[in-house]
Amino acid sequence: MESDLNKMLEHYYEMDGNIISILQDMEETFGFIPEDAVNWFSHRLSIPAARFFGTATFYGQFHLTKQGKHIIKVCRGTACHVKGSQKISDDIQREFSIGVGQTTKDELFTLEHVACVGACSVAPVTLVGKEVNGKVKSSAILKKIKQLREV
Amino acid sequence: MFGGCRMINLTIDGKQIKINKGVTILKAALDNDIYIPHLCWDHRLTPYGGCRLCMVEIKDQPRLFAACSMPAGDGMVVYTDTEQLRKVRSTVVELMLIHHPLDCPVCDKAGECQLQIMSFKYGANFSRFKGERKNAPEDTGSPMISRNTNRCVLCGKCVRVCGEHQGVGAINFIGRGFENVISPAFEETLDCEFCGQCVDACPVGALGSKPFKHRARSWVLESYDNICPYCSVGCTVTLDLREGEILRSRGISTKGINKGDLCGKGRYGLDFIYSDARLKTPMIRVDGQLKDVSWDEALKYIADGLIDIKNKKGADRIGAIGSPRCTVEDNYMLQNFMRTVIGTNNIDSSARFGFAVFNQAIEMAFGIKRLPIEMDAPLGKNVILVFESDVTSTHPVWGLKFLEAKQKGSKLIIVDSRETKLARHAHMWLKIKPGTTQVFIYGMIKLAYDEGLYIKEDAEKIENFSKLIELVQSYTPELVAKITTIDKDDFLAAASLYLTSTSRIITLTIAAAENNKGFNTIASACDLTNFLGDGPKALQSPAEYSNTFGLWQMGIAPNIKPGGEKVEKPGKTVYEMLYKKDEIDALFLMGEDPLITYPDLKTIENVISGLQLLIVQDIRLTETAKLAHVVLPASSWSEKDGTFINSMGRSQTVRKVIMEKGESLPDWQILNKLSKVMGQSLGIDNLKKLQSEVDDIRIIAGDKRLRYIAAPYVEPPVTAEYPFIMVTGNSMQHSGTLSVMSKSLTHVFSDAFIQVNTEDALKYGLVDGSYATLESIKGKTVIKIRVTDEVSPGVLFVPVHFKHVRVNELTRIAEDGTAPLALVKLTPIK
Repeated sequence: MESDLNKMLEHYYEMDGNIISILQDMEETFGFIPEDAVNWFSHRLSIPAARFFGTATFYGQFHLTKQGKHIIKVCRGTACHVKGSQKISDDIQREFSIGVGQTTKDELFTLEHVACVGACSVAPVTLVGKEVNGKVKSSAILKKIKQLREV
Repeated sequence: MFGGCRMINLTIDGKQIKINKGVTILKAALDNDIYIPHLCWDHRLTPYGGCRLCMVEIKDQPRLFAACSMPAGDGMVVYTDTEQLRKVRSTVVELMLIHHPLDCPVCDKAGECQLQIMSFKYGANFSRFKGERKNAPEDTGSPMISRNTNRCVLCGKCVRVCGEHQGVGAINFIGRGFENVISPAFEETLDCEFCGQCVDACPVGALGSKPFKHRARSWVLESYDNICPYCSVGCTVTLDLREGEILRSRGISTKGINKGDLCGKGRYGLDFIYSDARLKTPMIRVDGQLKDVSWDEALKYIADGLIDIKNKKGADRIGAIGSPRCTVEDNYMLQNFMRTVIGTNNIDSSARFGFAVFNQAIEMAFGIKRLPIEMDAPLGKNVILVFESDVTSTHPVWGLKFLEAKQKGSKLIIVDSRETKLARHAHMWLKIKPGTTQVFIYGMIKLAYDEGLYIKEDAEKIENFSKLIELVQSYTPELVAKITTIDKDDFLAAASLYLTSTSRIITLTIAAAENNKGFNTIASACDLTNFLGDGPKALQSPAEYSNTFGLWQMGIAPNIKPGGEKVEKPGKTVYEMLYKKDEIDALFLMGEDPLITYPDLKTIENVISGLQLLIVQDIRLTETAKLAHVVLPASSWSEKDGTFINSMGRSQTVRKVIMEKGESLPDWQILNKLSKVMGQSLGIDNLKKLQSEVDDIRIIAGDKRLRYIAAPYVEPPVTAEYPFIMVTGNSMQHSGTLSVMSKSLTHVFSDAFIQVNTEDALKYGLVDGSYATLESIKGKTVIKIRVTDEVSPGVLFVPVHFKHVRVNELTRIAEDGTAPLALVKLTPIK
């Protein structure tokens, strides 16, 4: 971990500690924002850890827990809600025994809710990784996700 | 700040106002006694515009403006209280109350809560909105501060005062939307310096003071202003009392030199007056035990003893030590008693190790007798250079000015072996080997001389010029780098930055608790100031305690009278009285505990135990008092009227706000009574008489002749047996024997510790939190290890004031003016 962090630090020393960029680098390297990494940076850049944490909790792109290999995003926008996206989410939660924002034990899948992905014409929408699935039922989505596990 | 800018005129609520350009409408209104409601604004912080309560109408403008962030414009016509504004404010309050729990009956803030006041003034008696209320558990895990996020209105004042003003940033807005709360990072328990600035800033009851929790309703409190008894900044503390007991202290934004700022000691450390260890009655040692007696008996005993010694062995066999914690009046009386009744100049104090050294240096270098600091000295300076001083710990509220200056664009250079708070905020932090500041400064003088960065004609005119130049010649950047262990390029960068700047100050503190700076250090700083022609004001060195400055002015020194006049036949200093055997037979200690605060404990113990008569007059049974023949109970701060002179040379009145403890009396009264019992009345019957006598003291100014001191640098001996340099000093929460009496402050730190660098810890097998033997040539003790990167390798830092650790058993005194650093070794206990 130390070497990864040092690499990042070198890059940001000159930039007077750009909090968001550092957090993005952490997210990319570790898949989430580790507490130790924040404290490490906080100490070296003399930026309070609370500022990192405040920023990390403000933006949806940062996570405080380890993320799964595949991120499943269920759209909970108005159109998708009307088209029954709650059921899709519920089914996923039941099938994999995880809540929203949680990751399966095998660290393969993370379930997230998003406000709107801007594809209301094909509601309800569910994203598996970067693949957009429109007008789907939960059975199809579940099947798709299970297939990923076998790969 | 806006000096030189033009003035503008505007009208607020029909009142014509003339102010500087650039000032906000809110500031303009408040300065002219027009109140605009506000919740998130604070005079110390940059405008935020979060609460929307300060909305005002501006004529010919279609929308409303937030007065806290809108600059006043020329010819502006502002209305602060209209039908529309009342409606807007009412809605704002109503919206805030949606989530607010309305638990006012159990909230300590009730009665002085800004939200309560606003809803009383503007709020509707019902809410049109329904919303979820938060139900988070209160965080009471940290010392001093409790955090109830349910009551929070998210004004962000605490976040900003902590980050922006205090330079800590322990808390922040966490999360977003309804889940947004104020919390430390990763929702851990608050672990900060516990200054409590956030608690005073909080307009509601979200952040509370734990020692005050559920102790009183705000409307039954009586408030009195007083001067803080801790450091020499002399902040005004507003004491809130219920039934004659001080329950809390606050800083009020309109009062004193601190303008609302207080440190942890001033806010939480004042409960030392309620310590169980306080003395209630006089005591005399009978058969080896201290026994309670009446005042008459005690005074008779002392009088007989002193007269006996005076008649048989002479007045010069009696000595006294004054206290920088006692008032001007007390100290004046002590020297008066010693000089008039006893007839000796054997009088001194702990200032001998600090303030006296400083005064000696400024008198030699600038020909002046007093050099007060300026509260705003750091502001507006291009470069601020701080040498081996932790100003934010020793003088916290003055330290804030350094942070403010840095934020306003001053370059802050910290030369220190420790990572102090200022070092974390500095543009440059140069890790210096402890005690080598003098070399750094001589290197700077040489550099200025070689590069011609000084005013030749002026510098050459000053006495001892050739001596100084000869002395600094050898301090090339290479040698400076070698001795100070600072990188040569870093030294050159910092030195050139300072030497080429047009407005600059040097800051260093010098005190009994600190052993990394001696006379030589301050002398070299004086030489640099003289050499560059900056004048004495460019050297900012604050006095140590609340009344160190006053004590010095009252002539608590063997060689000067009150006002600074030299005495003909100087008496004995503490070096003679406490460190040399058989110099005196009787010692009168007023408010000092040499066994804890003075260096080289063993020697003092040895000398004191040989005394025929030891009189200790203090507020509590000190370690020294435990060896005394007579112990007299003195009234504490807030139990007596008097005066403190702060480090800016300002006389400030200290008030009696509570009853004195037990039979205790103010120090000056005890001395007055004693002089009567000894048959020589000083003719002082009341405080007024005493104060008029003090007021009549003529202050001597000095000849104002500049001189270079040119003190040679003495390399401290190095031994392989003792590999560490031990630096002593203050911690953020403790500054001496007073703070360790406070229950609240000991919640944060109750035990002594020694800071060890991570590398050293690995090398010597020292584990964080474990105990180790600390040993110097003078003695040894056992102490807890704290592994940290705040100290450089080879350096140890230890706060000195915890009595059971007796760190001062390891330290030494240095009469030759060098920094009396202790060389030590640390061995882990298996």
